[in-house]
Amino acid sequence: MFGKKRVAIVGAGLTLFRRNLKETGKELCYEATKMALDSAGLTLKDIDSVAFGSAPDAFDGIHMKGENMIDSAGGWRKPFSRVFVGGGTGVFTANAGWWHVASGLFDTCLVVAEEKMSSCYPHPAHAFTTIFDPIMSRPLGTTLIWIFALEMHRYMHRHGIKKEQIALVSVKNKKNALDHPCAQLGANITVEDVLNSEIMCWPVQRLDISPTSDGAAALVLASEDVAKKITDNPVWIDGVGWCIDSTYWTNRDLYYPDYVEYAARMAYRMAGIKNPPKEIDVAEPYDPFDYKELHHMEGLLLCKKGEAPKLTEEGVTQRDGDLPINPSGGLLGVGNPIAAAGLMKVCEIFWQLRGEAGKRQVPGDPRTGVAQAWGDLMQYGSVIVLRR
Amino acid sequence: MSIEKISDPRQVRHWPGHMEADYIYTHGIAGERFFKEIKENGRITGTRCKHCNLVYVPPRIYCERCFEKLEEWIDVGTKGTIQTFTVAYVDIDGSKLKQPTTYAMIKINGTNGGLLHKIGEANLKDVKIGMQVEAVFKPKEEREGSVNDIKHFKPVK
Repeated sequence: MFGKKRVAIVGAGLTLFRRNLKETGKELCYEATKMALDSAGLTLKDIDSVAFGSAPDAFDGIHMKGENMIDSAGGWRKPFSRVFVGGGTGVFTANAGWWHVASGLFDTCLVVAEEKMSSCYPHPAHAFTTIFDPIMSRPLGTTLIWIFALEMHRYMHRHGIKKEQIALVSVKNKKNALDHPCAQLGANITVEDVLNSEIMCWPVQRLDISPTSDGAAALVLASEDVAKKITDNPVWIDGVGWCIDSTYWTNRDLYYPDYVEYAARMAYRMAGIKNPPKEIDVAEPYDPFDYKELHHMEGLLLCKKGEAPKLTEEGVTQRDGDLPINPSGGLLGVGNPIAAAGLMKVCEIFWQLRGEAGKRQVPGDPRTGVAQAWGDLMQYGSVIVLRR
Repeated sequence: MSIEKISDPRQVRHWPGHMEADYIYTHGIAGERFFKEIKENGRITGTRCKHCNLVYVPPRIYCERCFEKLEEWIDVGTKGTIQTFTVAYVDIDGSKLKQPTTYAMIKINGTNGGLLHKIGEANLKDVKIGMQVEAVFKPKEEREGSVNDIKHFKPVK
């Protein structure tokens, strides 16, 4: 065991993911946090600390939005901190909650993540333009989609992967999302639909991309002794990992996310996992674009480099396959309110391991699951391993 | 849960707002020298870390791996290899571009780094990963110390 105390998740909450929700970011946080507390049978009085996560301030348009959200995340007069690692924030917030409790400093910690991207008008793509280097990249007119297109193309080229294979991920995840009560884009689509959708920046097409979303997610964490009083059904955080690569992404080979592998190795070492494909029963890798699910399966060492498209074609990654990947529907199907989307993945693994995932439940009584998020300038990975 | 699905955005009351902030960025120590070389001499330069045997392009004044200060500047030539590329058909608002634009990540030959830039003077169907390209500079009098002093990269004949 790493840390002074073993840490369990004892409750989870999630709002609808939608574009243009009427609720403010604060109101979304409240809904998710209240649901997580209720599901654990706790009130705010039982909470010792709060770890909050949200991506760029520019989405909500409230500078220092962590402070703005404090009360709605249950932080009133409590030790509160905001963590931020771009798109990797959602899973990293759970990691931060883990060390709040594992350190022995607190018995309980609320983990809350929020994003209200629709505030950024007319489109949050504009908020992304200022993440690029102002001297080297921005004068070229850099947009978010074409940097993903560069990475996708490099990945396809290196392994000889076809667009048809990648589109299967979008088809699977949007179908899985039909069974998620919070989902924004559940749908029955075909590979042809993806291939016929509008070309944005080749090879990225409209249906390769997750949507703009508002939403929030929350977890309640407790130390082992406290968790056992709260529930007979705790889910343990047995491994956490995170890693960042060079900011100069022109200095890296984009075909493989080394930083995800390093983060995964850190978490697996902590959890004592030696053979990830055999020991992991269900996984939620980060899928803002369809190719990213494949890229991240490889980074998470769930298969060999370049092998993820083949497993997808063979149906291995379907909800009833040998290694279910994104049974929630992922960001492509449930939606992508950045930090909340990452934490949604941890919620999903929690519900899957408790057997509470309803129509989304993967068969075979899963015991071990992994969730992962990815962000900053295609350079950051955060990983969490959960066990029943 | 009390949140309703709102399919008609007109139901959402909202106010447009602006974040009143503007920025003036400096090129930095390494950036100033890099862009002066481009502007005045049409040269692409990098800095070398002799401990790690790495050549940084764009140049930096420190090595991110060993944290040594970098003081050895070298002319790295103007040729590179396309690592990957994309063809942008839409602008940031999703509107169709009049002319699709090809952007590439170009590894500068003999270095560990590279530049993002446009590909020009090439037929789209001929652009390939692994292709050799070279920088095309604007005429000297039009250069202003920007990455756009390089007009684009073109295939090496």
